[in-house]
Amino acid sequence: MMRAARALPTLIRVGMVEAIAYRAEMVVWLLTTTMPLVMLGLWTSVADEAPFRAWATRDFVAYYLVALVVRNLTSNWVAWQISEEIRTGAVSGRLLRPIHPFLGYLGTHLGAVPLRAIAVAPVIVIMMWTSARGVLVTDAAHLALVAAAIVGAWLLTFGVFLCLGALGFFLDKAMGIIEVYFGVFAIMSGYLIPLALLPGWVRAIARVLPFRSMLGDPVAIAIGRVPDAGDAARLVALQWAWAIGLLALATWLWRTGVRRYEAFGG
Amino acid sequence: MRLGYYARLFAVQARASLTTAMQYRADFLVQGLTSLYWLGWNLVPLLVLYDDRATVAGWSFGAALVVMAHFVIVRGILEGAINPSLGAVVEQIRSGAFDYTLLRPADAQFLVSTARFAPWRALDVLGGVGLLIYAFVRLGHAPSPAQLGAGLVLLGAGLAVMYGLWIMIVATAFWVVRMDNLIYLLSSVFDAARWPASVFRGVWKVVFTFVIPLALMTTFPARALLGTVTWQAGIGCLVGALLVSIVARLVWRLALRSYTSASS
Amino acid sequence: MTIEVAGLSKHFRVHRRPPGLAAAVRSLWRRRYDTVKAVDDVSFTIARGERVGFLGPNGAGKTTTMKVLSGLLHPTAGAVRVEGHQPFRREPDFLRRITLVMGQKQQLLWDLPPSETYALNRAVFGVDPAQARQTIAELTELLGLAGLTDKPTRQLSLGERMKCELAAALLHRPTTLFLDEPTIGLDVAMQVTIRDFIRDYNQRHDATVLLTSHYMDDVVALCPRVIVIDGGRLIHDGDLRALVKTMLPDKLVSFTGGVPAEEVARLGEVVKAEGGRTTVRVPEARLREVVSHVLDRAGADLAVEDPPLEDVMRKLFKDKRAAAPAAPPAEPPP
Repeated sequence: MMRAARALPTLIRVGMVEAIAYRAEMVVWLLTTTMPLVMLGLWTSVADEAPFRAWATRDFVAYYLVALVVRNLTSNWVAWQISEEIRTGAVSGRLLRPIHPFLGYLGTHLGAVPLRAIAVAPVIVIMMWTSARGVLVTDAAHLALVAAAIVGAWLLTFGVFLCLGALGFFLDKAMGIIEVYFGVFAIMSGYLIPLALLPGWVRAIARVLPFRSMLGDPVAIAIGRVPDAGDAARLVALQWAWAIGLLALATWLWRTGVRRYEAFGG
Repeated sequence: MRLGYYARLFAVQARASLTTAMQYRADFLVQGLTSLYWLGWNLVPLLVLYDDRATVAGWSFGAALVVMAHFVIVRGILEGAINPSLGAVVEQIRSGAFDYTLLRPADAQFLVSTARFAPWRALDVLGGVGLLIYAFVRLGHAPSPAQLGAGLVLLGAGLAVMYGLWIMIVATAFWVVRMDNLIYLLSSVFDAARWPASVFRGVWKVVFTFVIPLALMTTFPARALLGTVTWQAGIGCLVGALLVSIVARLVWRLALRSYTSASS
Repeated sequence: MTIEVAGLSKHFRVHRRPPGLAAAVRSLWRRRYDTVKAVDDVSFTIARGERVGFLGPNGAGKTTTMKVLSGLLHPTAGAVRVEGHQPFRREPDFLRRITLVMGQKQQLLWDLPPSETYALNRAVFGVDPAQARQTIAELTELLGLAGLTDKPTRQLSLGERMKCELAAALLHRPTTLFLDEPTIGLDVAMQVTIRDFIRDYNQRHDATVLLTSHYMDDVVALCPRVIVIDGGRLIHDGDLRALVKTMLPDKLVSFTGGVPAEEVARLGEVVKAEGGRTTVRVPEARLREVVSHVLDRAGADLAVEDPPLEDVMRKLFKDKRAAAPAAPPAEPPP
């Protein structure tokens, strides 16, 4: 445990160097998150004609720009990385190291965060110039909760992707699962459309799933849709609970998967 | 002679893809379910939007469905006939096997563009056609033969534009290895083509008209079917498609030249 | 002349990527480039029907030269003609006369049987069906392909795959063969099969063969002539035996027992002594004397061999380095 803790700073530093080396790819990956921008274009056109169920143009602008920032800050590609490493057998190398493989992945993807932050900075600057500025929360309690929610969203997303990646131990076509996952995520997290605008029965399903904690809730807190700080704190607590639960699930999936991998040789 | 030669080449390559697909027959079912899943998924924002409004930027629900159906069809063709081949090239460039392609006495662009198909994606196209029929049933009228013809011609032009853009992206892989991500980028921008182009304004309008002419790919063919496209606009689409095709060819040749002078 | 190369040079510009976080950040703004001379002023000619071995250490420029000759790379300078064509134009008529086989890269379609690749190549090269059938029958017999060409490529062993690769590369009956490490990773028996096949093809079709290999046995068995390059420069072109003779004029004499230990030391430098068999290195001038001496004592179990080509190469490159220390070994970019 102590050795692992000592190794982490080095792992993160290596992750940063990797991120810089692959910066062109990273920029392209960040640019592929165009969905919020397209939806932004669509909804602002609609809301310009007349507000859409109490959502004015500036609400949509704020919602989708903050969603873009949260998504890019908290996303990673560890699921693809793991399933590729399982497919090629490269994962064996990780199993031979004296630290838990998750720490290696953690280092790589934490190391990419500074570069991601630099990449989304322009979005935040642009947002300050638009009508969205007036929508964002400004009081200390909410700002602190937004920060906690972004950290929580990062951990939760990391946990979910670790689970998806570890599925590669059990399934040949884990990538297909990831595609289906993305479809569910996009609707149930509020990435495609704000959860508040979805039909009641969809919202009821979304309420019991972890996806809204990955994106929709942090965004809602940031754009003042959760005015009571107590309510917001409860959402963050729920989010962290999900994060811990999914990281635990990922650890279990990984352990079971590795046992299977060792038995069948992948 | 040349045409016959290339027709034979095409047949051989298509047969190889089909034979490969037959080895993975279970994919047929998986692809069918996935197609249905995404078909339903695509409708979600449309349903949310039109639950509150009768028209958006002058488009009724039925008319917007026609555009959506075109999107599903074009996307199916993209995923079935264009992405697999061009993905294969990027892979070949990385592994070095592309050298073998260059040493074959046939046009390299033709060889790579027909290298791989994903036949099961035809189910996507089928789903799109089904959606199209449903949309016209809802609209309560069928397109006239002339409108149908114009729609098909403009669909062809739209596909040519898309293919041209994709070829240009692949050409960049000669300079920057691992730029297959750019294909994802273009795919994700293409997602916007599910909406009628006139819905977008401001920056989006500029990007979707001049940078990535999404309107040419889905909106104009849809409008031709709906009978709301002018002759001038139709001819404009054809000219645009021709231009993109020519530019794509030039970029490809330039990239190939740089590949053979700079790589090892 | 089938292949004419005059003053060929090929230079690459490569980005230098230094290690470390600070350096990585710095290279965001300032990129440094190095020019690598993969091939530097190389000239040679090869006549129709010759089999030539192309030797050099890793990164010497062998593959780069092969790629220029087959038309995959533009030369930076110099004149190249192969089969009467300028290779880099890649004219169909030229491509139909040559083939390039790279042991580390495959052209067979992975998920399909090799026969599908043959069908594709037949269509691509416009081979007449009757002739294709005949060629395939011939290749099947020579390479022992029976039963292999209808199994998916991914199920074939490395050796089987290489045989099928060769057949795919030769379906259009090229008259110039560029073979880059065609036997890499294969076991000895398979190497011999491939080697015999290449010689047979060369004789049957009067084909010109340029071969690189890490296995010196391939070169010794196949190539009467060798071209050696190092650091992109040509350092030897000529008869293989002459090269061996000038570089290492010694012979290796080996025998079993019979000679007292103190006499062995006087015969020459002992290279190996195990299992009762002794090998000594003997200068050519003393060969006759040593052999008759050993024959007197040890009887008939005596063998005289050239030193292994590996030793020759090692000596050649070491001498070269010593003569020109300024030229570092150049590695072309990936």
